[in-house]
Amino acid sequence: MTFLALTLLLAAAPKVDAGVPWHAESMPLQLAVRTPEDLAFKAAAEREYLVFNLLTGGKLAWDRGDFDGAATRWEALLRTPGLSADLDALVRPLARQARARVGGEASGISEPIVTMTPMEPEPPTKVAPTFFAVSGVVTGGGSHGPGGAVIVLRRTDGTTPRPRATRVKAVLQKDKRFVPHVLAVPVGATVEFRNDDELFHNVFSLSKPNDFDLGLYKSGAQREQVFATPGPVQLLCNIHASMNGWLYVSDSPWFAQADASGRFTVKNVPPGQYELEVWHEWSTQAVKQAVKVSGTMSELSLVVDGERRAPAFVPDKAGKQRQPQLGY
Amino acid sequence: MRALFFAMVLAAHASVAAEPDVIEVPEDEGPDGYNPDEAKAEEPLRLTGYIDVGFAKATGNGSSFSPYDTRVPLDYFSDGFAPAVNSRGDVASTDTGGRFTNGFLPRSVGIGSAPSFLINTASADVRFQPRGIPVFLFARLQLMPRWQAQGDSTRVELQQAFGRISPLKNHELALFLGRFDSVFGIEYLENEANLRPGITPSLVARYTTGQGLGAKAFYRFQLPTIWSAVSFNAAATNNGTRIEALVPVDASLTGNFVASGRLGYELNLQRLQMKAGVSGLYGPRNDQRSSTARQIGWGADLRLTAYGFTLAGEFVRLYDEHAPASGKATGLGPAELASSFSVWGGWGRLSYTLPWKTEALTGVTLYGRYDRRLAHFEGATYLQTDRFTAGARVDLWDVVALKLEALFNRELAGAPTVDNDVFTSSVVFTW
Repeated sequence: MTFLALTLLLAAAPKVDAGVPWHAESMPLQLAVRTPEDLAFKAAAEREYLVFNLLTGGKLAWDRGDFDGAATRWEALLRTPGLSADLDALVRPLARQARARVGGEASGISEPIVTMTPMEPEPPTKVAPTFFAVSGVVTGGGSHGPGGAVIVLRRTDGTTPRPRATRVKAVLQKDKRFVPHVLAVPVGATVEFRNDDELFHNVFSLSKPNDFDLGLYKSGAQREQVFATPGPVQLLCNIHASMNGWLYVSDSPWFAQADASGRFTVKNVPPGQYELEVWHEWSTQAVKQAVKVSGTMSELSLVVDGERRAPAFVPDKAGKQRQPQLGY
Repeated sequence: MRALFFAMVLAAHASVAAEPDVIEVPEDEGPDGYNPDEAKAEEPLRLTGYIDVGFAKATGNGSSFSPYDTRVPLDYFSDGFAPAVNSRGDVASTDTGGRFTNGFLPRSVGIGSAPSFLINTASADVRFQPRGIPVFLFARLQLMPRWQAQGDSTRVELQQAFGRISPLKNHELALFLGRFDSVFGIEYLENEANLRPGITPSLVARYTTGQGLGAKAFYRFQLPTIWSAVSFNAAATNNGTRIEALVPVDASLTGNFVASGRLGYELNLQRLQMKAGVSGLYGPRNDQRSSTARQIGWGADLRLTAYGFTLAGEFVRLYDEHAPASGKATGLGPAELASSFSVWGGWGRLSYTLPWKTEALTGVTLYGRYDRRLAHFEGATYLQTDRFTAGARVDLWDVVALKLEALFNRELAGAPTVDNDVFTSSVVFTW
């Protein structure tokens, strides 16, 4: 039972590797102390947190081969007053093994090494998160060049957080073109389509499940559309068959677009293992590769193909093909 | 145990704090988008096209001539228009068994009743759109290889070649000059094998889908408050809108142009799209040197699309007036009489595109069509025929279309019943 609990406990703990410091030494919760009951509550919480910390910290040290660190933590745990018998039975042999591996004797100190009744509440120490910029160059894209390529990073050593858009991105219809021609937005983003031409325009997409139709609207008018599903979305106009553009809806908060020369920077990426994906309008398939984000990583070099041909016919919003030579 | 449980709660909280569920993308950090410069936008010169190959089997002898009809010549008393076997409207056979024919005949692939593979059409389009100016140049060249001795010979056709200019930046106006598609009705919009949902053209396509040399103007204005648009499409060409094989001479002998046009209305709701129009045609008969004998036509069309279903239909009425002068020019030489001709006909098609779509399978469409035509040459009997067509089309990767079609033809009046049904298939590769 205890072993099962320990397994669950470790599974719930943040994943750590040799390159990531173990931040759990600090109490992660701020517990306000205003009454004697608050103080008792805080003392109990800190005691339990200490138990947890020494228990799991020892295991993580063991896993990375730091047997001295493991022995030190587990021996401290065994000296904790009032330690339950089943936890003592679990940890004691492990502590001995760890100490033996570093050539020493397990120390069975019976006195506690900490006092669990601090009189003044201490503010928790915040550990500043570490983020990195992932940058590089995309090449290829055929005669169209690499510009506009969308680079997305998704965690492979944990869950990728869902991005939350904080502004409405605007796509203009100007001179019978979508401006910008390619725009990457986070999933859930609201995109505003504004008609800057003197003509009427429509915007629609048949890219399921982000298909939509904003109807007709006049010069200066605008419409909004929320993009709730990740993936590329082709933008078309039901009136002007020559108009086309793209949105790329990212399911990760870590994405960027290459400029005309192919350069890109994905900002504020936490360290860890990622899968990097590159989508490009003129590529037949997305490029994927594993990336380890750390302080020592070098610039990335990515190549996309430019082999996708423009379709011979452009569909109308009902999916019927339009003959481009007709101009209507 | 209690301590462990408490520790687990804390650990879970610590985990959440280290890896939040949601991360905001700050305003100044999201991409601003990308605009290609002109050199990296779409190429100004594009070559596209398609190849249409098929396998067809016609019943009977592949023609519409009844072996029991002994009248000579085989003229307007018989209906020479056997059902088509491909998207061009070519029939399986026009073999008369040695009897003289003094009428118009459709193109033939000459396969008779033998099940045969066909290379129907190899088509190439050249489009050129210079950057920065509103001009568009287009040409469509088509090769129809025909190796059967009984049918038409192999031919190469410059089907279209025109220039288009859109002179007004703020209006939907396009002016065309050259050889271009008809503006009558709607069937010309799907006249090519890769565009047509099925395989064979309708019974009235021969009257509406021809190309002509001349000038054309298109104008459309939008009515956004009612999600609608109204369009005008008008052409002045050196012939009518009939397809070449049915016109005894390719161009009007008078030198006068034939006017044709369509007034269209579009309703573009989010779940329903409707297009309706009326068309007209007026000008001299192609086979007369006097413009007093006219060809006149009008028609109406409708298309409705909603929830994967498309209902399309067209009605056509056409007259060739009796020529006051005797005789006329035909493809077989001068003819003694230039009698009047009238026809009405139409078709309706219901199709349904299944909601299955994968990267490879881009469309599965089932369709059924009904056609009917009543034609009358002055002094001859009324010929009434109808046709049931059913088929399926499967699209793969947006470049390959596989089609299968069964066509059941009936002579209802004026012509003997002939065994002339058709089972045909087609593979169209668009490049």
